[in-house]
Amino acid sequence: MSRRGRSMTAQSGSGGGGSDGEIDLTPMLDVVFIMLIFFIVTSSFVKEPGADITKADALTTESCVRGTIIFAITGSGEIYYDKKQLPIGRAYRLAEAAKKEAPKANVVIQADVDAPTSVLSELTGVLKPLMDAPLCVSTNEAG
Amino acid sequence: MRKKNRESDADEAQIDLTPMLDVVFIMLIFFIVVASFLKEAGIEVNRPDANNSPPNPDATSIAVTITGDDQIWMENRRIDIRAARANIARLLASDPEQSFSVKTEPGASAGVLVEVADAAREAGVKQVNWAAEEKK
Repeated sequence: MSRRGRSMTAQSGSGGGGSDGEIDLTPMLDVVFIMLIFFIVTSSFVKEPGADITKADALTTESCVRGTIIFAITGSGEIYYDKKQLPIGRAYRLAEAAKKEAPKANVVIQADVDAPTSVLSELTGVLKPLMDAPLCVSTNEAG
Repeated sequence: MRKKNRESDADEAQIDLTPMLDVVFIMLIFFIVVASFLKEAGIEVNRPDANNSPPNPDATSIAVTITGDDQIWMENRRIDIRAARANIARLLASDPEQSFSVKTEPGASAGVLVEVADAAREAGVKQVNWAAEEKK
């Protein structure tokens, strides 16, 4: 009560009763900053291949650890990365650039159920030097 | 006079936080939108480096072949995909440390490869090796 009285006398001229209606923004700012930092840290900038594929179902599906470099192979054997179709020759350079950006990232291939294994094999062969872990073939969890 | 002094002091010391708040909010919204909590799920298939060397028909290794027309062959007979898990589990029972390899001929589809790899993992195989036969 006494505090309000004092501030009123001090700021009555310029504030025009501002101190009465003013809300302390500090706690909200704290929360907003923490959220901001959280989202900056967690954002991984995954480039989705954007191809329409049907993944195979698998009972032993597990999560691909840090699988953020994602290629897709459609049923007709076309390779997609970052929503664009590309020839196999460019796959290595794109994956290398992605790997440079995020050195811990692993390669994931989304293969359509009808995708020929010859294309999958070729793509795996091209990307093999960049892989630290076995190839992760994307599947749907069955059951 | 004294009152006026205090008033101007308070005015000068206060920083207007509104522009910074605007920027922070816009950054926050940007990162929320960009953050895709997408978790890719799948199964791991190992591709041995020397894939041009033929998989040796070793007694201590389970070999499955997928032909170009998606037939699954094991122990010189054709098996159904639904029987793959039981067959692999039976072979694995004699030696649980056996290695497992799938060989695909060109033209085999990825779906069958994933199904065989899944069956093997379900049967208890630790690592699925995949060797692709190159086009002649």
